[in-house]
Order: sequence, then C-alpha cells, then structure tokens
Amino acid sequence: MLSWSSRETNEQVDITAVAEGRAGVGMEHGDELLRFASACAGDDDAELVGARGALVAATDEAFMVDAAAVAANFEMMTRLADGTGAAMPPERLERSAAEIAVMGTGSLPSRR
Amino acid sequence: MVRVRDDLAEAHRLAWDHVAAPGSWFTGAQRVELAATVLAAIADPDPLPPWVAATLTDRVPPERLAPDLAHDAAYRLARHAGTVTHDVYRVFVDGLGELPYVELCAIVSTVAAVGHFCRNIGMPVPELPQPVAGEPSHEQPDELAQPTLNWVPVAAPADQVASVVQAYSAVPGEWVNTWRMAEAQYMPEPDMVHPDWSRRPGGMTRAQMELVAARVARLRDCFF
Repeated sequence: MLSWSSRETNEQVDITAVAEGRAGVGMEHGDELLRFASACAGDDDAELVGARGALVAATDEAFMVDAAAVAANFEMMTRLADGTGAAMPPERLERSAAEIAVMGTGSLPSRR
Repeated sequence: MVRVRDDLAEAHRLAWDHVAAPGSWFTGAQRVELAATVLAAIADPDPLPPWVAATLTDRVPPERLAPDLAHDAAYRLARHAGTVTHDVYRVFVDGLGELPYVELCAIVSTVAAVGHFCRNIGMPVPELPQPVAGEPSHEQPDELAQPTLNWVPVAAPADQVASVVQAYSAVPGEWVNTWRMAEAQYMPEPDMVHPDWSRRPGGMTRAQMELVAARVARLRDCFF
C-alpha cells in the first residue's frame, strides 16, 4: 500500500529506509513519522517520548494523534491478520514481489 | 493533556464498552479477564517467549473464569502474533472451538489497539470497565464458509472481499466493532481505494499513513 499510494501521488519514498528504520525516507515529515512509528512499536519509552516530541515539533499535536491512531490501527490489523491466517491473493503477491524483497518479509512465519 | 478528536475517542470508548459486554461465545466477565491478559502482555517488561504458556507463569491471575488456553492464546496473540503458524492455530481452535477463537482474536486486536494508542500519545490506558452480566448470545451468520484466504471460517460466501475484511465476519459483533475502530483510526473502508485520501486539510497524506502502517507491520513481523 505504501508503494501504491506513493506512486499514485508522485511522492518519492525509499522503501529500504522504511524497512531499515533509518533516515532518508524521502517524503514530507517522513523521517519524523518513521522514527515515531518505530518507537510506537518498540519498548523504549524514552525514545517514544523523544520521537513524539519531534513529530509534534515538525507538524502539530493533531497530526501526531492521527499518526498514533494509524499505528494503533496496525497493532489491531497485524493481530487480526496473523491470528486468523489472513493471506494475500496470488496476484497481489506477484505484484508486490519487489516490495516484499526490499522489506525482507518473504521468509516470515506469517507469510502464507 | 493530549486532545483526541471526538470520533476517535468515541470509537475507543465504544470498544471498551464492547469488551465488557457478553459476546457471542464468552461472558463479559471472561472478556474483561482476557482483556487484562492482553494489556499485561503488551506492557510486559520481560515478555515470555512465544512457546511458554502464560497460565504457567505469574502473568495472569491464578483464579480464572476463561479457559487457560484462552489466556495462553491471548498472551501469544498480543505479544507474538507473527509467530502463530497453522499448527499453533489448530491447537487453539481444537481447545476453544473455531468461533470462540475468532472472538478471542478480536478481543486481543481491540485491546491491543486501544492500549497501544494510549501509549503512543503518552496517556494512561483507561481502566477496563466492569463486566456486563449476561450469557453469550451464540450469534453467528446463517451460513458459514471455509475461505481459501483465511484459516478461520467466515460468513458465506467466502473470499468475496479481502481476507482481513472477512476475517471476523463469523462473529458479527466483533466485525462491527473492529471496522468502527478502523474507520476512526485509519480511514473508512470505502475510501481505501483513494490514494489521495486525507482526514482533513493539512492532515496526514495517504502515503504518510502507509509509511506508519508499513513500519509497524514490519516490526510486528506481519507479512500481510
């Protein structure tokens, strides 16, 4: 979905940076969002405080809340998908082969 | 105090009410008890490995209303969902039943979303509500089907929508709650085809949303 949405809206995104969690994502506020998303899914409370503050400083509080909600949504959807054995249709897998390789998700147990 | 927009606050308030109400297969008291196990799992500073049953440790209270296996599955799904294989799924459904397992997944995903959202914005997780008395409704669709895109049974006909959309359809109350939350947290389902969707002027672009989604999914080892 990241590749599709960025392609459709002409936003240049470095998916390798997303996979590796490093700066240089290449979209507006991309680095702050990536740091915040990583901290949301991590265990380091101090890093989360720092990442949240950096995102608010770059945008505003409402933007941070929206990003926090999207992160929460994917805490929900990842458990839904992995708990119920949700799979992608073969044609979508084929279409996403390059992104799967970059994200390094092809060998995950959750690939079905 | 962080200001949370009204629709999102309301979706999470309704989610908490939903967790405390009798479900199709678990009582309200069992659901709240399982929700507590989920919150303990996601906040666990020294998480158990995936193969350790939470009920054999001090992670869940010794007196339990819900089956031990339901607590073990709740902890596993809350903390290590990406490690659940078909064999693990079979163990859970052989012990709990297919539809109770679907309800359990939904309790976990609901509580994980609210719990993580509160942590994400730096607010405390609201206390779990008092359970609502009553028996499980045993509500289910008129006809179930086995899809090719999920392990779990779904409302017939199967595979007419995306696997994540049909996943909870065999337990209608969970399906409604989940997609109400998704609309507030992410976007309305009909808008998912629009790459330029944004919640408000100046708000996150769709690509920015997908960046957050992709990073969280990657760190959760979720292929989907």
